[in-house]
This record gives sequence, structure tokens and C-alpha cells, in this order.
Amino acid sequence: MAVQKITGTRVQGPTTATRESHLRVLDDDTYADWESVYQDNIDRLYRLIYSKVGNRADAEDLTSEVFRTALRPLRLDVSKGEVRSYLLATAQTVLASHWRRTLGVSLTSIDAETARDALIEPGRSDVPSDAPQRVQQILAAMPERYRRVLELRFLEGCTVKEAAQAMRVSVSNAKVLQHRALRMAAKIGEEVDA
Amino acid sequence: MTTRRVSAFLDAIAAGRRPRWRHGEPEPDDVTVMRTAIELRAARPGDSSPNEDFVVALHRQLADEFNPPQGAEIRSLRSHRGRTLLVAAAAAVALVGGAVAVTDAANRHGVTSVAFPAPHDHVLRTGTFEAPGGRVLGQIVVYPGHPGWVFMNVNAVSSYGSVMCKLHLTNGSVVAAGTVSLHDGMGQLSKAVSVDARRLRDATLYSPSGTALGSAPLA
Repeated sequence: MAVQKITGTRVQGPTTATRESHLRVLDDDTYADWESVYQDNIDRLYRLIYSKVGNRADAEDLTSEVFRTALRPLRLDVSKGEVRSYLLATAQTVLASHWRRTLGVSLTSIDAETARDALIEPGRSDVPSDAPQRVQQILAAMPERYRRVLELRFLEGCTVKEAAQAMRVSVSNAKVLQHRALRMAAKIGEEVDA
Repeated sequence: MTTRRVSAFLDAIAAGRRPRWRHGEPEPDDVTVMRTAIELRAARPGDSSPNEDFVVALHRQLADEFNPPQGAEIRSLRSHRGRTLLVAAAAAVALVGGAVAVTDAANRHGVTSVAFPAPHDHVLRTGTFEAPGGRVLGQIVVYPGHPGWVFMNVNAVSSYGSVMCKLHLTNGSVVAAGTVSLHDGMGQLSKAVSVDARRLRDATLYSPSGTALGSAPLA
């Protein structure tokens, strides 16, 4: 049975990484080997990265890179929470590097505080992202046509042409609708976060 | 109005494809739109779970890296037989690619037309792709000539749909050798290259996102 302890003010990373943290409960369990690290974290880590890139190919590449980078210097004599903290720090770096390499700007990033709850805290195994709920909030606040074009394009996977047909507008009109809807969604998102 | 490259980015995200971006940084307004598109796409029901094949394949690759086999490793190119097979394959590729008649090294009689000599061991540059942990990823043969030829086989990087190979020269310059399409983690590439094979230092495989997967010093 796992013994839990209250730890103080700092989470020591498995290598050189350190992270200031609030008072929290750490699971005293440790991982037996790299395979248990992998099995316990692959799903959550992939979901987290997928939520930041929006496509499988990049999510798979970056998840692979995180594990390759993190596992090599990993010490296993630290708690699971510390290992997950290290994986999270590695994922932040890998994602930032990905956007710097492909776009030159940071398009999305992993917020440590948000991700930590699901990825690091013991006993949490749900999706490490509140994206679906947040997206529903945003869509619910939009005018019908804007909401519909975004649903067709990004939730139902329609092409612009298919979305235009479904909405009985021209393709160019659908593109304009999509662009305006995305801008409005971004603005509503900022208000949701505020 | 959305520029063409932003439209292409949004189309890729909507379709679940890897987006491409060329020529400079996006404008701040475009960044906002692109970021929102990613968030919307990532919220699509059922798409956020990892593919089981990917999970298994990555586990296998990591096992190869972190659980090195006990005893002798299989380094096919380092064995005489493996080298011979790969050189033979390279020779076959050179023949097909050049669409010329080639002599058989063991039977030179009766050959009337030789526009493209068969590769011989002493003129080839060969190497074995190895991951940082020592796992063998494949082999490469570079045949110097006009044009030169590069032949490679790649194995066990199944989480990628393709890998790119770059040749590094002794003067520090880099030449793209080509992209290897992978099926079940395996693929081959044969291609003419305009490079002085004597100046080659090594070859490196990269994932589609640019991560170096393994290198092959060329002997």
C-alpha cells in the first residue's frame, strides 16, 4: 500500500530540474523501471501534447521525443510525482522547441499549473486538458452561423467546400465566416479565461 | 483576410494533418486564429487518445534503446555477409536507376556495353545508422560516380511515416539525400546524388519534425 507524505515547498526534479511548488501531497511510490514510467504516463502525456498541436503526427513525434529525452538521464529513486514533474518539464521544452523550429513563434504552450493537476498529482487519471469543456463554453457564446462553421470544420472534420454546402453559402463566403468565427472564438476564449 | 498560408494551415488542422508553414513568422492576428483552430480541433470527440499501434511501437523502440540485448549485437553491416548483401542491393539499385548494362564482377566475358560500372567494395562509402543508445536503424551505401548514388534501408522507426536523410560533408556543409517512406517501420531509398563521396563524413536520419534519430559514420 502506498504511503503518502506531506512534502514542503519544493519538488526536486529527477535530474537537475527543480520546480517551486505549493504544499501538496506526494505519492511515496516510486517506479520500478522505465517501462512502468512509460506505461503510467504515455496516455496522459500524449493527450496533453495532442491538445497543444491538434494533429496525431506531431503529437506522436513530440511524445516520442519527450520520452527519449527524459528517460535517458532519469533516476528512478525519486517519487512518481517527481518523475511526472520532470516529464512535464521536458514536454514544455519539447513543445516550445517544436514551435520555434516550425513557426518561429510559440503558438501554444503547456501551462505548468494547469497541466500539473492531471499529470502529476497522484490519483488523477482524467484527460490533462479542459479543452472540450472550454470549447463548448466558447461555442455556446457565439452566434449561430459562426458556431456552425466552426463545428463543421473543426469538430466534424468537413472540408471548406463541404461546410459551405452544409451552410448553403459559397466557398469563399465559408472561408470568411470561418476566419471571423475563429477571431471571435479567440476573443471569447480570452473572456472565459479572465 | 486570411492569407493563403494561414488557410493552408487551418485546412491541415481541420483535417487532422500535420500543418506546414513556410517563409517567416505568422502575424500576431494569425497566431491567435491558428491557436484557436488547434484548440477546437483538439476538442474533437474521440481523437485525443493515442493510437494503440503508436503506443506499442514506441514502447518497442524505447525497449531497444534502454534494454540493449545481452551478448553480441546484430550489426549487419559490420558483418561481411551483411555488407555484401547491402552492396549487392546498392549495385542492383544503381543498375535499375541508371538503366544501363552492367558487368557481373564474376563473369566479365561477353559484355558489350558498360555505361555504368558496377559498384566495387573499395569505392563505396558505407555506414550503419545507429540511435544514440546503439540500436541499429539501418544501413547506407554511397556509390561515388557521375552521378553518385545513395542507397539506404531503414528499419524500426515505425512511429514515423517517413524519415529524412542528410549527408554531412567534412567541410561542414549538409546535403539532403532524400526522404524514406516507411511501411510498418521499414523503408528503402535509392537516389542519385551530386556529391563528392570522398568528402562525406556521416549521414543522419531525422524525423519529420526534425529530430535526429540516428547517425551513420561513413567508412
